[in-house]
Amino acid sequence: MSEEEKKMIGFKCKKCSRINYPKRARCLSCKGMEFEEVELGKECELVTYTQVYNPPAGYKGDPPLMLGIVKFPNGVLAMGQLAIDHPKDLKLSAKLRPIWGMLREIGGKEVFGFKFELAKKEQTSKLK
Amino acid sequence: MREVTIMGCGMTKFARPLPGSLMDIASEASLKAIEDAGAGDRDFDAVYFASMACGEFAHQTAAATALVDELALIPAPTHRIENGPASGASAIRDAFFGIASGMYDLVLVTGAEKMSTVSGAVATDLISTMLHHEAEYLHGATLPSFAAMLTRLYMKRYGLTENQLAAVAVKNHENGSKNPYAQLSHKKCTIEGVKDSIMIADPIRMYHCCPVSDGGASLVICSAEKARELGIKKPLIKIAGLGQATDAHTLQEREDPAVLKSVQLASQQAFKMAGLEPKDIDVAEVHDAFEILEIVESEDAGFFPKGEGGKAAEEGKTALDGELPINPSGGLKSRGHALGATGLAQAVELVWQLRGEAGERQVKDAKNAYALNFGGFGDNSVVTVLRRTD
Ligand SMILES: [Zn+2]
Repeated sequence: MSEEEKKMIGFKCKKCSRINYPKRARCLSCKGMEFEEVELGKECELVTYTQVYNPPAGYKGDPPLMLGIVKFPNGVLAMGQLAIDHPKDLKLSAKLRPIWGMLREIGGKEVFGFKFELAKKEQTSKLK
Repeated sequence: MREVTIMGCGMTKFARPLPGSLMDIASEASLKAIEDAGAGDRDFDAVYFASMACGEFAHQTAAATALVDELALIPAPTHRIENGPASGASAIRDAFFGIASGMYDLVLVTGAEKMSTVSGAVATDLISTMLHHEAEYLHGATLPSFAAMLTRLYMKRYGLTENQLAAVAVKNHENGSKNPYAQLSHKKCTIEGVKDSIMIADPIRMYHCCPVSDGGASLVICSAEKARELGIKKPLIKIAGLGQATDAHTLQEREDPAVLKSVQLASQQAFKMAGLEPKDIDVAEVHDAFEILEIVESEDAGFFPKGEGGKAAEEGKTALDGELPINPSGGLKSRGHALGATGLAQAVELVWQLRGEAGERQVKDAKNAYALNFGGFGDNSVVTVLRRTD
């Protein structure tokens, strides 16, 4: 699978249908142990965010490090880095989308995962 | 269950750095508590040692054994209690069970942390390891970033103002200036000063955050029978209520990320056990690692209606002469936050308050006291209710 095709996955409990994210040994709602992998969504909405001016050791970008919590249409919330250049006008309901990328280094090793960027940015770049 | 009593207490000053090793700090606090209890020549049935990260910060493991050796309390059984920044309150809780069960009569509970051994960035990273490893820590999340995201969410929902948030810091610095043990006792601040302090993680500024601290605090705890037998002259302080609850590890998976449900549950348990209600509490020490937490905790503990904690602070209701003084010690903000020592330092302050020994920061006629210690960012809350019995 190419990096662009990587999907953000949640773990839907086969017993009670709760989508657990992140995955756990047992469903947080019903202790079920069987899960179906489901895509969380191509678009999500910003719930809250911050710009961290003293990021932890291993973060390779220039401060501030932007972090936020997003909500997917299925109700699942996730935390992650925000790849947003000019956050001045950022609204709490901004539409975002997950993208795969390097998060930080830990013990000299690069750690990858999903970040979130403005969904609109994608549309404008497509127009170009 | 047998009645359990706090017979002695003591602590070091909190500072960054505090001279001496982890063991120097732990033994200073312990010896003060033993002296305060008049138990200098006594053997102890057990020693509980609380530290969140002595291996990581001070390169010392099995530190409980080292402490028993340092204090010449061999062969007392001992172990270290680690429950993140609530290690101290968890140690008190474990000691309570040891005595209430009839297993022990006289125990020592000490918490200590030496954080100044590492740089601020390393300390931030070490503390961040308490967050969910895959879903939070690996993404670069830090405790200040969580406080910031909670503050933004809470401000939007309840209309908390910057002045209200700053009022908590101003009050805690004012209280801390009256506490010779407080790390920032030399520093007072103003609303404008808080709002002008440097941005840590917007909207959280330096004066919304607790400092990094070295420090130790200790209690001598015994059965009520033992206390009578030893004939101490100071007012007896009973551990009247205990409560503890956990919540989803990640902030966003909680029923409502702006509500600290573990605080609600732990507080309800502790009040029920003590036979008290929130309105019966005369003085409280809460876990204000960030000032937003004092506001949210004061609501979820049941002291103020949801959304009104900031207003209560701004109106002076939580000041030393207010209807419910919160953090008379200066709280984590001004006294300091030496992780594993914090829960014990909260209890030490409340014992002094209940005995009437708190000097300039004494709350008038305090009989019932409440302490809240956090083992993570709202996912593990430990509540202790203390009561003067006379
Ligand atoms: Zn389930």
